Amino acid sequence: MPVAPHDPSDDQAIGGAASPHAAPAAIPAFSLDLSWDVRCFATGWITALQRDTKVSVTSWPIDAAAPRAVSVRISRAPVMVRSYTFPELPGWNQQGPAQGVPPGTGGSSASRAGGGLSGSPSTGSALAPVVGVGARPAEPVHSTRLQPPRDIVKLRDRLYYVLQPPLETLVSASQLRFPFQPFPYQYQGVAFLYPRYAAILADEMGLGKTMQAITAARLLLRSGEIRSALLICPKPLVSNWKRELALWAPELPVAVIEGDQSRRRWQWQQMHTPLKIANYELLLRDADVFRGKQLHFDLVMLDEAQRIKNRSSTTSQVVRSISRTRSWALTGTPIENSQEDLVAIFDFLMPGYLNSSMRARRIGRAASDYVLRRTKDLVLTDLPPKLYRDAELDLTSEQWEAYRTAEEQGVVHLSDLGEALTIQHVFELVLRLKQICNFDPATGISSKLERLEADLEEVVASGKKAIVFSQLVKSLEVIRQRFERFRPLEYHGKIPSGKRDAIIEQFRDDRSRHVLLMSYGAGSVGLNLQFCGYVFLFDRWWNPAVEDQAINRAHRIGASGPVTVTRMLTLGTIEERIHQVLEEKRQLFHAVFSETECPTNLGLTQQDIFGLFNLQVPAAARRAA
Amino acid sequence: MTLMSDQKSLPAIGFLTITRDAEHGLFGGYLVLNALGRPLEFHCTAPVRPSRAQEILYGPTLEPYLYGERIGPTLLEKSRCVPLAVFTDVEPAMAARPFVSTPLLLVLTAERSTGLSGQAELACGVHGGQSLRAASGGTMTDRRADAAHPPRRGHGSVWESFALGGYSVACAATHPQDGQAVRGSWSQFADQIDLDEPFGRIRDAIDEARNSAR
Repeated sequence: MPVAPHDPSDDQAIGGAASPHAAPAAIPAFSLDLSWDVRCFATGWITALQRDTKVSVTSWPIDAAAPRAVSVRISRAPVMVRSYTFPELPGWNQQGPAQGVPPGTGGSSASRAGGGLSGSPSTGSALAPVVGVGARPAEPVHSTRLQPPRDIVKLRDRLYYVLQPPLETLVSASQLRFPFQPFPYQYQGVAFLYPRYAAILADEMGLGKTMQAITAARLLLRSGEIRSALLICPKPLVSNWKRELALWAPELPVAVIEGDQSRRRWQWQQMHTPLKIANYELLLRDADVFRGKQLHFDLVMLDEAQRIKNRSSTTSQVVRSISRTRSWALTGTPIENSQEDLVAIFDFLMPGYLNSSMRARRIGRAASDYVLRRTKDLVLTDLPPKLYRDAELDLTSEQWEAYRTAEEQGVVHLSDLGEALTIQHVFELVLRLKQICNFDPATGISSKLERLEADLEEVVASGKKAIVFSQLVKSLEVIRQRFERFRPLEYHGKIPSGKRDAIIEQFRDDRSRHVLLMSYGAGSVGLNLQFCGYVFLFDRWWNPAVEDQAINRAHRIGASGPVTVTRMLTLGTIEERIHQVLEEKRQLFHAVFSETECPTNLGLTQQDIFGLFNLQVPAAARRAA
Repeated sequence: MTLMSDQKSLPAIGFLTITRDAEHGLFGGYLVLNALGRPLEFHCTAPVRPSRAQEILYGPTLEPYLYGERIGPTLLEKSRCVPLAVFTDVEPAMAARPFVSTPLLLVLTAERSTGLSGQAELACGVHGGQSLRAASGGTMTDRRADAAHPPRRGHGSVWESFALGGYSVACAATHPQDGQAVRGSWSQFADQIDLDEPFGRIRDAIDEARNSAR
């Protein structure tokens, strides 16, 4: 029976599963012949099925990087440290005298530090006991830090000052007492001086330069940083310094160099006294003491340092010859005539640091770290005002006649002198004319005197006190004679120095004494007359700085009210011409200390003096200059 | 080392502060004063600047680490005398206490001590203090103590504050004996020592040293 070969397509057709969604079809029936021709032959499959299955493995490597660990190193590099040690000075650990006002306890302006006569030292004893400035105070106190000057280069030395406690703490911790509470600006002045080896304290008169210098020196001595100090001042001011030292540094032993030569020589050699006081005049006689540099001072202070403004003077040379470590100059007028004055003072402080050829602005810059200057307007906002009245007066007819005659004859005389004319001749004429401006020589009539009389009557009637300044002692004597009814006191070169202190005390304490006649030369520096409300400049000095000093005898710390300054000036005279020169000098001072450009020399030059009378400077005078 | 500053009779007191300079990093300064306020020793560090890795890895513990473990102890180790106490005005520097043997106290100014009446619990380290420059990502900030931004509990070290003279100070609660020790010996100095002013001196001295290095 033949069998038709199997056709797979038939299965599909038979199954009817071509589409699962098709409806089942009827299975067709058909006949199949199975009589197929079957032949057998060996395939070997059966045997193969009986063998174990062979498994073979094929490996493919996976190409992936192994994870890597990254180590971050945290460095512990050593911290570098710089170390500084400072000596603990045993002097600071000593207790000071228990009197006066501890710093930092406030205090009214009335009890503030001034020139020294503004109150009694016992004023402060009733105040609160010492409170360490370091403690948190009930009231805010000023904190004045020391600043190293620019010329200190070594870091250790600079840090020594940077790390010092505030000045108020230094003072308090050392139990130093003050008779009056210093002003903050005075602490700043002390902080300025303390670290400096070269310094000019150029505060305006009346701001307490004396107190600041004494306190700075006192602190240095107490700390042991210095052991010997020399103060040089004009002779009339020695007693004032002694008084101020007793007030501000009562524990400080002081020796005044005085007496005959052998005594002075012995005094110079005594080094157990930490502070010596000498006057300029005496210094000249003892110049040989300083030769050889065997006598050395840790600190030399020059009061009224303008005394050495002439570098070629013996005074300047002797002062500069003193062997010393620190040099301080005190002056309210570092420039009186020209910038040469300042250069001369710097020759004492730092020889060669300044020279005359430098321009004003450059000098101002170079000197700035060494000079501290404050004015009352700047620091004493609560100081009573200073009122200026310029009494510009016409000469009386008698004075005019005498003046014209004297001037005409004088100028003719000067012209006749020709090459023999010297500056001294010109000065004599100026002096003669100024005398006439004060009084008519024949009659004594004076327009100034009339004005002064009216003013003084008012002063006396109000119970105030007045100082009358004049360049000429003779004029002061005339005024005294004319104003006997005012019972004026006199303080000038003809009054023995031994009597002068008593005169000042009488003027201050005696309520019936209202007028003090004073010469610029004797009374313009160092005196404290802040109880005066009126100052009269009967005639004018050559230099505005000297006039300012005179005015500031009254207008200074402790002044109880405004100070009225009357500047008398006769119009159209030599006084007016000199006044113009003085104004120019003020401009020079401003140029150096405000760093504004200005001509280098506006002082009263030889040419200026001759120019007062339109005279040419003779060749001989030029050569002599 | 002696308890006294040297052969003199005045005891010494230490002041530690750390300043931050945006350009150079941290400067540490340690000033030793005698009881009258005069300087006996001054130590200051070269600038310390953490690496970026340190900033990331130390995270909020960076400042206690730098102030308290690196700068503070290094400075104190340089001192030749052992003061009665060391005062600091930067909070993270208190982390130095475990590494030094001297009592270490945090000075709180009037405003710093706001909210610290009586005993307060303060966190030691990273969360306290006013940031003069905002902290971000572990960067350093000025850490002078200031309770105007009261510290929060941090890493387990708590402080105890108490009055000393006219000041509020705080010591680590882990070293309560610091407070007792200082209070016991402080009566003679209570009205003499300014606990705030010397930090200004240190900062000025650090500035001076930096300027001289230029």
